[in-house]
Amino acid sequence: MIAVVVCQFVCSGLASCTSIECPIQNKVELVCLSGDTLKDTLTVSTIRKDGTDTILLNRKQDATGFSLPISSQHDIDKLVFKTEKLAVVDTVWIEKEDLPHFESVDCGMAFFHRLLSVRSTHFGIDSVVISKSFVDYDLSTAHVLFYFKARP
Amino acid sequence: MLLVFAGNAEVGAQRFLKLEKDTIPLFRGFAVSFDLAGALQMQLSDYGQYEGALRLNLHDQYFPIFELGLGHANHEEDIVTGLSYKTTAPYFRIGADFNIMNNKHTGNRVFVGFRYAFTSYKVDVAHPVYEDPVWKWDTYYNVDGASCNMHWCEILFGLDAKVYGPLHLGWSGRYRIRISHNDGSVGKTWYVPGFGLQDSSSLGYTFYISLDI
Repeated sequence: MIAVVVCQFVCSGLASCTSIECPIQNKVELVCLSGDTLKDTLTVSTIRKDGTDTILLNRKQDATGFSLPISSQHDIDKLVFKTEKLAVVDTVWIEKEDLPHFESVDCGMAFFHRLLSVRSTHFGIDSVVISKSFVDYDLSTAHVLFYFKARP
Repeated sequence: MLLVFAGNAEVGAQRFLKLEKDTIPLFRGFAVSFDLAGALQMQLSDYGQYEGALRLNLHDQYFPIFELGLGHANHEEDIVTGLSYKTTAPYFRIGADFNIMNNKHTGNRVFVGFRYAFTSYKVDVAHPVYEDPVWKWDTYYNVDGASCNMHWCEILFGLDAKVYGPLHLGWSGRYRIRISHNDGSVGKTWYVPGFGLQDSSSLGYTFYISLDI
């Protein structure tokens, strides 16, 4: 009986296995929707820590929806929206709360966000509103709705 | 004639009842045990648990049991993800084992059993400072003392062998079913004291040494 107990325990240890279950969709992005198809070419950029700018969305035409990166840990993201036909530049401020998110030590870390407010200048943008305040792995629902002014 | 028949029937009933009477007392003592598998796991990996148990022996068949342990994890800077995870907390399980052997009084036992378990624990998760890939700002990822708890059940199968005198050696294989959990603000937790890794198998095991008292 003792031999049976020991052998079965060793065998069960050898036969045991583990699995890692990390989410397949692990991008956290800001999903934006345009109220109507934007009959224009849209470029979105931002200013980095060193003062240089970087393009987040490059010359997107007839935009109805687009995704933008969101900073991991910064209270307010400042984005610059430039449209070519109307030849205007708008600044958008997205105020948010950053929430560390953890799945497993094998999956890496992420930040989720809670949008607190969004505001903009109004040269080419008519209005901007928060549609869904919680930003996580779900990219199927829009977080921010943009309503652009009519193009000539 | 009727009286004789009635008298015989009474004697027969007494014999039947006498045969059915069990001479083994209900309370057969209790045993204390220590889980060697959890302690070995603690030495060989960065998580594990120290666990002891007190088990009553009722008629060599029913074994109410209380298990108390201390779970610990200290995973420092994962080589792939760079994440560190720390927790230390007690947990308990309460339940019963049933000896399903035909001859229950040999000292060797084959068990099936169930447990209810609970733990309340705090988790620290950290990552070295890194640069935001777009904005290039320094980013600090740090969760300190997130309060979490979990209720779960276990169904188990086990063997227990008498080694010498009151000394027993045994193992149990367990299937764990999570009833409810609160992972705090962190999203999910990794190692849960007493439960093991949440993102891994639902199966668990113990390998214990016990002493009948």
